[in-house]
Amino acid sequence: MGVKKRISGCVAVANGVKLADVDVICSYPIRPYTGIMSELARMVADGELDAEFIHGEGEHAQLSVVYGASACGARAFTGSSGVGVTYAMEVYSPISGERLPLQMAIADRTLDPPGDFGSEHTDALCTRDQGWLQGWSSTPQEALDMTLMWYRIGEDPRVLLPQYSCQDGYFVSHILGEVEIPDAAQVKEFLPPYKNHHVLDVRRPQIIGAQIEPAMGPPLQYQRYQAVEGARQVIKQAHAEFAGIFGRSYDPFVEEYMTDDAEAAIFIQGAHAETAKTVARRLRNLGEKVGVVRLRVFRPYPTQEVRLALSKFKAVGVVDNSANFGIAGSSGVMLTEARTALYNLGDKVKTVGFVGGLGGEMITHDEFYRMFAKLKEIAKNGKTDRDGYWLPFEL
Amino acid sequence: MLEDIKTLRKAPREEYYVPGHRTCAGCGPALQYRLVAKAAGANTIFIGPTGCMYVANTSYGCGPWAVPWIHAQITNGGAVGSGIEAAYKALIRKHKTDAEFPNVIVMAGDGGSSDIGIQALSGAFYRGHNLLFICYDNESYANTGIQTSPTTPYGAWTTFTPAGPVSPEGKKLFPKDLPKIMSHGHPELKYLATASIAFPVDLMNKVRRGLNAQGPSFLYIHAPCPKGWSFPSEKTVSIAKLAVDTGMFQLYEMTEDRRFKVTYRPKELKPVEEYLKLQGRFKHLRPEHIEKLQNFAQRRMQEVGIEITLLSS
Repeated sequence: MGVKKRISGCVAVANGVKLADVDVICSYPIRPYTGIMSELARMVADGELDAEFIHGEGEHAQLSVVYGASACGARAFTGSSGVGVTYAMEVYSPISGERLPLQMAIADRTLDPPGDFGSEHTDALCTRDQGWLQGWSSTPQEALDMTLMWYRIGEDPRVLLPQYSCQDGYFVSHILGEVEIPDAAQVKEFLPPYKNHHVLDVRRPQIIGAQIEPAMGPPLQYQRYQAVEGARQVIKQAHAEFAGIFGRSYDPFVEEYMTDDAEAAIFIQGAHAETAKTVARRLRNLGEKVGVVRLRVFRPYPTQEVRLALSKFKAVGVVDNSANFGIAGSSGVMLTEARTALYNLGDKVKTVGFVGGLGGEMITHDEFYRMFAKLKEIAKNGKTDRDGYWLPFEL
Repeated sequence: MLEDIKTLRKAPREEYYVPGHRTCAGCGPALQYRLVAKAAGANTIFIGPTGCMYVANTSYGCGPWAVPWIHAQITNGGAVGSGIEAAYKALIRKHKTDAEFPNVIVMAGDGGSSDIGIQALSGAFYRGHNLLFICYDNESYANTGIQTSPTTPYGAWTTFTPAGPVSPEGKKLFPKDLPKIMSHGHPELKYLATASIAFPVDLMNKVRRGLNAQGPSFLYIHAPCPKGWSFPSEKTVSIAKLAVDTGMFQLYEMTEDRRFKVTYRPKELKPVEEYLKLQGRFKHLRPEHIEKLQNFAQRRMQEVGIEITLLSS
């Protein structure tokens, strides 16, 4: 059995990395994810973790270092926030294209402007179509567990894909939560050593990343598409195994809260879901039929699971904690993807977007009350008068 | 330890840069690649940032290496090399592999070294990774169709520095001196040298010394490009020789004492014009431009300690 400690999301991830016996780590400082690397640096300095700890000269270098390391068969880890995430953009596709299952933690931060350190999912969502697996934790415990689960899923020979393990900056990364840190024997049972069939080894020379002619492009991209799609089954299987070994279980893709007989629901990912749940619980006490659905995995997008979860409501408010200027529906990517998942059901479920918490602001209880009130009105009238609302200016 | 090679005949017969590439006839970078691979041997991993030696070597999904090779972006050869070196250190220490520590060689062009890739190069050398970084200098972005890079000489025509009434000399700027940038400012540097394809034994021995140094080593190899410099493809080696004999390129090395040691002194220094007149990229130059290049060569020679006794033309 593990031990229970009160630790932050950053320290929780560092514990996950240590338990995964990672071989190569590459750091560069940027708030708020920095705490993960400080904790890992301490673990290496104190002899708790045997790993090469490399100070990259920037985020682009961080991703490049772990690309090289993973290509040699090392388990590799890096991380970033905000503009650091976008600075490394060139290297994400080569990593998934060469099928290197390394892991990057992202503690969300706004891009510039506003230049503050606040949390916003915009940074990580910019990377969503690079062929990586991507999921959001809403508590430090989940952040630790996701670190282990993503390595297990990404390194599976049927998948071989890199993983973004995302958490809200500050709301998860810097807030202490009670975390059960599993013991090494449990982790060993859950997470086998990393083995990739194509690694740089002079005894079996291989050419990795050769240029190809255009006719080779479609099959190459189709393989990556199939790998991302195929990860769905492995995600389910790994969650079941995780529950068996660690005694903690998660719905693999979407978590439902008080959705039985609900007529209206908030659909959301990340830490703000916890606030939404509190408001939903209070409204339930007042007799309102409301609930919350939390998305845990953004890539591969769980189209079926989202459709199944949301189709039972009359009205769904999709919360976007990211800035997507000029997007269809004038809200955010959470809304457009949810609507795509629901599209074939026709007009049965009314959807509306709520953009909130930008620049690192809280999404307050009061704002969630206003969102639920709007949803109640939509459910009652059976129609929406607009696609989305920017909070607090428009609702 | 890799032994010094005494003569060309005593060089290893084994080839690790083998047929299967699509470089131009007379390609200088391909010639140096063959010599580097031969000198380094079988226990070698190459990192190939985007450039001619990626594009022309790996077209159609195959490549000319008998040792492992991995693509890097044009930006990040030094960082990918760092990760490979770190991975082998960790995997060997943690008994996760029974492989020997390999020679890690980054083979980058002048753009991938002196321009967009200089940050990753400097980072790797600052951190002290045990790798050899080679810049094969064909003095341009060549695979994109000959555009100026920071090492393109003053006065050279490229598609981005055409000569015209407003810019009669073509390129107006003097080139970055990458070996000098690398030589004094990276405390972990173990070995640095320049080399030329016209001096193959010297080139192979500098590869071996760089690998034996067990730390960040930098090798700057002059590799003429028939297409980009506009000369007949059978002249590659003689152009490379003339670059050294006119002082436009200097051969030297530097070990941990941080002093330049000239490894070849031309017996009779020829005027740079003899080098320039064989190349179409310089054909628009006027005497005043050629004089600037002559002064440039003399300054570079003085910096590394080659005394100048210029033969009059």
